[in-house]
Amino acid sequence: MKTTLILLVSSTALAAVIGLPAWSSMRAPTGDHAQPVAISFDVIQDRLPFLFVSDDDDDHRRTTRYGDDDDDDDHGRRHDDDDDDCDDDDDNGCNRAGNPAPAGTVAPPQNGLFGNGAAPQVQVN
Amino acid sequence: MKSVFATLALTTALTIPGLAMARPVTLSTTLNNYRGDGAYLALYVTDASGAYVGSLWMAGGKSKYYQHLTDWYRATGGDPAQINGITGASVGAGRKLDITLDLADALFDAGYVLHIDAAVEDMRDSPNEIAVPLTTDGAGTPVRGRRYVADFTYDM
Repeated sequence: MKTTLILLVSSTALAAVIGLPAWSSMRAPTGDHAQPVAISFDVIQDRLPFLFVSDDDDDHRRTTRYGDDDDDDDHGRRHDDDDDDCDDDDDNGCNRAGNPAPAGTVAPPQNGLFGNGAAPQVQVN
Repeated sequence: MKSVFATLALTTALTIPGLAMARPVTLSTTLNNYRGDGAYLALYVTDASGAYVGSLWMAGGKSKYYQHLTDWYRATGGDPAQINGITGASVGAGRKLDITLDLADALFDAGYVLHIDAAVEDMRDSPNEIAVPLTTDGAGTPVRGRRYVADFTYDM
């Protein structure tokens, strides 16, 4: 009987300790000094000073030439967001697949269209 | 002596079909004076069902512009392996591009169609600018283009 009573008292105390903050956070404040626990935490957070931090997490200035924060993927030297073709003069601006091998440097592809004879000849007039 | 004749006959028999299986074909493309930069042209072949078979030539070496050759790009995903060894420079307005290729005989009179997609910087893309069935009878007959190509001819 005594043991049961002790258990009931301790469980009630434990429930009160755990439940009080939750219960108070759900209650609306009735006065200036009767703020729920959650609101008190909010007030504390509101009083914390704001820190200015960088908004870019992809701006590795040591490894990239420009630390722009835009979301486009044109790695061009000039920032021309009107088109999607990078607008740069180098051969590898946004060329992820790589340029094809020019005629004469390798054999034509084995696609069944070509014979095994002469290499392609091209002329522009 | 008998074995020499047999060897000659065998080599001749093996060589002649090889010669007959392909022939030089000249593809001539003349561009209009459209007052723009050099045109990128993709010359490729589809079969009778319209499925992409392979590429014959790419005029224009920078792969970043290939997406504007829309039909070719859709069929190939812009894969450079499709045009390795058959890529040259873009073609200026009013110029004529002549390409001579050693093409398989099986391409002709078998329902294959040669297509040309064209694109010019800051101007409208022109997919399927040319679509001409590859037939022996059609050789030498000019075909008019839609936007940038004045005419196209293949000669055998």
